[in-house]
Amino acid sequence: MKRRIPIAMIFVIGQLIAFFLDGSISQILSGILFKYPNTMVPYLTVMWLVLAVFFGNAKKLHLGIWAAVIGFVFDMYYTGILGVYVFIFPLVVYLCQVIYQMLPPSFMSGFLVYFLGITVLVTLGFVANAFIGQAQASVSEFLVNTLAPTLALNLVLLAISYFPIEALYRSHRR
Amino acid sequence: MQKFFSSRKLVIVIVCLIISFGLMTVSVAIRNKRSTPTLIQQFGNDIVGFADRIVAVPMNGVQHGFVSVKNLLNTYQENQQLKSKVDQLAQTQVKDQALQRENKQLKRQLNVGNTLTGYEKINAAVITRTPSSWASQIVINKGQAAGVKKDMPVVAGPGLIGTVAEVNKTNSKVVLISNTAENSNRFAIQIVGANSKVVNGIITSYDSQANRIIMGNITSTAKLTKGDRVTTSGLGGVIPKGIYVGTVAKIAEDDYGLAKKVYIKPAANLNDIEIVSVAVRE
Repeated sequence: MKRRIPIAMIFVIGQLIAFFLDGSISQILSGILFKYPNTMVPYLTVMWLVLAVFFGNAKKLHLGIWAAVIGFVFDMYYTGILGVYVFIFPLVVYLCQVIYQMLPPSFMSGFLVYFLGITVLVTLGFVANAFIGQAQASVSEFLVNTLAPTLALNLVLLAISYFPIEALYRSHRR
Repeated sequence: MQKFFSSRKLVIVIVCLIISFGLMTVSVAIRNKRSTPTLIQQFGNDIVGFADRIVAVPMNGVQHGFVSVKNLLNTYQENQQLKSKVDQLAQTQVKDQALQRENKQLKRQLNVGNTLTGYEKINAAVITRTPSSWASQIVINKGQAAGVKKDMPVVAGPGLIGTVAEVNKTNSKVVLISNTAENSNRFAIQIVGANSKVVNGIITSYDSQANRIIMGNITSTAKLTKGDRVTTSGLGGVIPKGIYVGTVAKIAEDDYGLAKKVYIKPAANLNDIEIVSVAVRE
């Protein structure tokens, strides 16, 4: 008989792959994603966390702690400025968890919750970067050229990966 | 709402905010002043960098496949264009060799050691790019162990693309010249204008709309024309002289009409970087 791989392990490995894919996609498609004036940033790391909120057991997977850990690594490795995503990732996970519990579990409510999550994530990221002088765009520029394209990209990515990942978690619940 | 803002949660939020601002301030200060990040950060970055290669290498391989197919389709046209340039190149190369030898002999005669132009290259591959709208930043696979130091200039293909911002043992972060933050973009550059008059200045900002580097505050009256070549001047710091930056695209008055502002078209394509070289002054 085949031994089942525990879902916690799949979650952690998937988390790491999603984290590295963020950077690789940004690098490979930089000509398209960062073409002036729009910037689209893939947030697969957050998507993986939020999908775990939807389908997995948040308590058993220790999602809050994982969000903080991966946020810390994100700060350290990608941006080099500590203390930004280490707090934003767990906050987004918490918010998604609270809102998702109020809604009936379906694709549309997942879509809506993820929409809110990405909005919070990108907006707080902008505020933090503006605070340290990295981001110099005005608020209207930010809304049109960063938030809207990033939302579009990430929602498309969610729509693509929602059902395969749901199937993955469902096969492990039995 | 009661549940959201109970006093315990409020305290947690405030504590988190304070820690967050503290960490941000400290890391910005470290980035601006010290040559390397703290040891723990360096160590972590090295480990993550190693793990990243597992994902980055196959992804870059896939990209290579697509690029090669695209190149194959353009080959004929490119071949025609290149043929016309080859003769010219051979001539320049021979002349360059002769001049280099002459230069060496003259230096020896004058007892001059290394000047500002001498530099060596450390070649590195790009592992990944920061997934962020605000930091135009890439991570390369060479670090302290290979001799990379903070603030060294980085060249890709024909010209300058940025500087090293953070050095770990086996990887480092490069901030591209397209980064519009206040604390980047300070290269000393020069333009050789008509009558070989030299205009010195620094890169003051970047115009992302037109993809132009801006060299501001020029009071020199030397006549510059569109197409003049821009190189690093080697003044101040670790950047060697003679790294190609780009060509003059436009010359305009600054906001107050007192000085000139030169728009420079960068030689390297900043959105398609795979292999870079870090220039080390000898």
